[in-house]
Amino acid sequence: METVTLKVFRFDPEKDKIPYYRDYEVPVEGTLLNALLYIKENLDPTISFRAFCRSEVCGSCSVRVNGKTKLACKTPMKELVKTWKGKPLRIDPLNHMKVIRDLVVDIDKPIEKMKTLIPWLVPDPRVVPSDPRHESIIYPEEMELYKDQIHCMLCFSCYSACEAVEDNERYRGPFAFSKAYRFQVDRRDIETAKEKRIRYSISGGLWSCVQCQKCIHVCPKGVKPAEDIQNLRGQAVKKGFTDKPGAKKLKHYVDWIYATGQINRLYLPEEVYGNKEARKKLTEEYERMGIEVWEVPKPTKGLMKFRDIYLEILSREDKALELDFSHVRKIDKMVSDIFKADICTIVDRAHQNNRKSKGLIGKLKGLLGGSDD
Amino acid sequence: MLEYDIVIVGGGGAGLYAALWAAENTILKVAVMTKVYPTRSHTGAAEGGINAVLTHSVGDSPEAHAYDTVKGSDFLADQDAVDIMCKMGAAVIYDIAHRGVPFSRRPDGRIAQRPFGGASFPRTCYAADKTGFYILQTLYEQCLKNNVTFLNEWFLLSIIHNGERVEGLTAWDIRNGGVHLIKTKAVILATGGHGRVYWNRTSNALGNTGDGTAAALRAGLPLKDMEFIQFHPTGLAKTGILVTEGARGEGGFLRNKDGERFMKRYAPEKMELAPRDIVARAIQTEIDEGRGCGPEGDYVYLDLTHLGEEKINERLPQTREHAILYEGVDPVKEPIPVAPTAHYSMGGIDTDKMGRTKIKGLYAAGECACISVHGANRLGGNSLLDILVFGRLTALEAVKYADEAPETTPSLAKQKDDERRILELMENDGKESLAELRRELGNVMIKHFGVFREESTMKQGIEKLYEIRERAKHVKVHDTSKRFNTDLISVLEFLNLVDLSLPIAIAAIERKESRGAHARKDYPNRDDKNFLKHSIVTLKEDGDYQLSWKPVTITKFPPEERKY
Repeated sequence: METVTLKVFRFDPEKDKIPYYRDYEVPVEGTLLNALLYIKENLDPTISFRAFCRSEVCGSCSVRVNGKTKLACKTPMKELVKTWKGKPLRIDPLNHMKVIRDLVVDIDKPIEKMKTLIPWLVPDPRVVPSDPRHESIIYPEEMELYKDQIHCMLCFSCYSACEAVEDNERYRGPFAFSKAYRFQVDRRDIETAKEKRIRYSISGGLWSCVQCQKCIHVCPKGVKPAEDIQNLRGQAVKKGFTDKPGAKKLKHYVDWIYATGQINRLYLPEEVYGNKEARKKLTEEYERMGIEVWEVPKPTKGLMKFRDIYLEILSREDKALELDFSHVRKIDKMVSDIFKADICTIVDRAHQNNRKSKGLIGKLKGLLGGSDD
Repeated sequence: MLEYDIVIVGGGGAGLYAALWAAENTILKVAVMTKVYPTRSHTGAAEGGINAVLTHSVGDSPEAHAYDTVKGSDFLADQDAVDIMCKMGAAVIYDIAHRGVPFSRRPDGRIAQRPFGGASFPRTCYAADKTGFYILQTLYEQCLKNNVTFLNEWFLLSIIHNGERVEGLTAWDIRNGGVHLIKTKAVILATGGHGRVYWNRTSNALGNTGDGTAAALRAGLPLKDMEFIQFHPTGLAKTGILVTEGARGEGGFLRNKDGERFMKRYAPEKMELAPRDIVARAIQTEIDEGRGCGPEGDYVYLDLTHLGEEKINERLPQTREHAILYEGVDPVKEPIPVAPTAHYSMGGIDTDKMGRTKIKGLYAAGECACISVHGANRLGGNSLLDILVFGRLTALEAVKYADEAPETTPSLAKQKDDERRILELMENDGKESLAELRRELGNVMIKHFGVFREESTMKQGIEKLYEIRERAKHVKVHDTSKRFNTDLISVLEFLNLVDLSLPIAIAAIERKESRGAHARKDYPNRDDKNFLKHSIVTLKEDGDYQLSWKPVTITKFPPEERKY
């Protein structure tokens, strides 16, 4: 029978000063959970791990295999051996949680963190009848909005893989934001609760996510926390929670790109962090290094058409409202002042002078699936 | 010593719904104790749905639901309890829907219902194919909302009572170790089924070991109708993990070793779509008569190859995934080895129609209880309803009782006993291996008390079970650490299974008839004259079991032949 070595993390704080690895020879058969059960039944009854349903619904048995988060009952041994070419497989407990013993980690903390985001329905009495004999009507299309999020089984795989958890102790964890977002898009949930969820999400690190997408890759159930976090951010901005650097950065991006086709590195520190010195210092520094700097980017040919297309993209993603037109007007004015003409004239002039800028529109058209003119 | 007013043991659907209703209706101190984390309970594995007659169920009525349930039970269910359950159907569905369970909806926005085996109307509400999962998650969310106290990863050891009323519990704190005495006025047992008695031939989770039922038995409480175990016809051959009925619904064939579609000899009209128990018996007959497949001839084939890859991927993605993962067979290319698998325990702790036991303040709800609404055979979609209705009712009963009950004074003796018992488990000679003996128990159960039963084999089986009970005294806990000692938990669970195996066996041999899930080769017919009654098994002081009988409550529906 084909076998492989599992190097299993062992640590009993009651007995061991430091953790160590123990090698077990297991058959390459069935799933990783079968292999762990094989060890417990035949080789070493003292090994501890969690397992319950054995068919991917309970979320008990997540571990790390050579650093990669896996649900043991969903991971065929054959696949592991193939991926790692028959080399020993290091089995570790999940990351970012305290080890209770061996492969068992303390999941109370992420649960407590999740709890702060109100991950439950707070019914709106105008939608949900208070009389339990009456049904509340929900159309199948409405449920599409949260069809992925409801698959979360609290296996904490994403929490283990998350980079933001690594950096920010207060960060609630990807799954927690997905659990929260599920109710943000439920019509039955009351508006006041939705607003609280946003507020608590922000204080729970909503803007700390670096969008590395690991949560999406490790989720055994197809939940997409990174996307839910993006959507929560959008909701936050829309609801006027714009005082966090993350929200300000988003605003800077959206507004400057709309106004000029690109972000403005000189203004970014000021608009996001309120750093008024940065613009001057950066300008001096760039000049000293011989790098050409513009206070505002020079408007390019096709900017007006670009704005139309960009607005269309924003509205398709339901983010058009995030565009701050008063800010855009200020930028336009800045551009006019610097180039001594109104924005349309500058663009027309650019049109005559510079034919290269066609590329920008072309790219966007491609993105939208429309044809270039 | 921990102190509560109500302790709910088990964090599945029954336990969480009980906790929720208790939390919302009282200021008493309520705690849920569970050996896992609540969302990991086996309610989460229930796929099909939950039966209830809703306001828009045209033509249907709670009475029709009750009749179907009683008929399905082969007339062994207590009709007063069935009546309560069926009448409360709509109320619990709307309640959990209002709390956020994402039930699948009709285009007009109302809760969708589909037909299910044994039901005369389409009354099974469902949330895709993960109904139990969504219910469990939603109830957990609602418990968090209500700040329910959880004792997660605590293992029930003993129930303490003074012969009249319950006084407390002892339990092992899995994370930190140690036997704790918990003082409480009321206890609701909601610990689930004991399908793991059949060890490798069950669809149940690793932990469905009947811990509450076994503790109740040891505390002198009677167990009812233990002989009735529902077998699902198609469990994967190696693991017992379910292959959904949908696989046959979509057109899958059952074949024996000669490639014959044998169902034509058992149910020529319905073929593979005959009721569960008939298909299970047909498969078992093929295996028993030497027409099984594989080197041991211990399974048949569920053939989906003719459906084509596209249809299998679209309609049965989970079946394909599970067959590849757990059986090493891709159903697109090869037939899936399947055999009947123990699925549901109809029997359990004897209670009245409100979930009350004979000890005041002690209640049971869900699969660990025998109330009895399922009688000799449970209908699909009725177990989720059962756990919610009786979880809620027992909670309200317990609140009412604990509100007025005087303080209890549990003695320390049980705690000392349990400490000693655990120490002994760690210090015995270890002549027997847990893994081997556990497998043996499962094999004896499936061989002697499986789909078919008869006097002579059952007699041998009982002898073997007594032998296993003796040998179990030599199973040792090798892990001596207090911290998250899963070796200890596995041994305690195994001992619970041993305790529960004999009541099943004893009741099975004494029920000399065939009824519902209890199919005897030597008594192939139902015998209402002698056996329209519940079996009751208790554990005597001397460690042996005592069997007695109890009448069935019949109100509206006189027994008739169960024909479909």
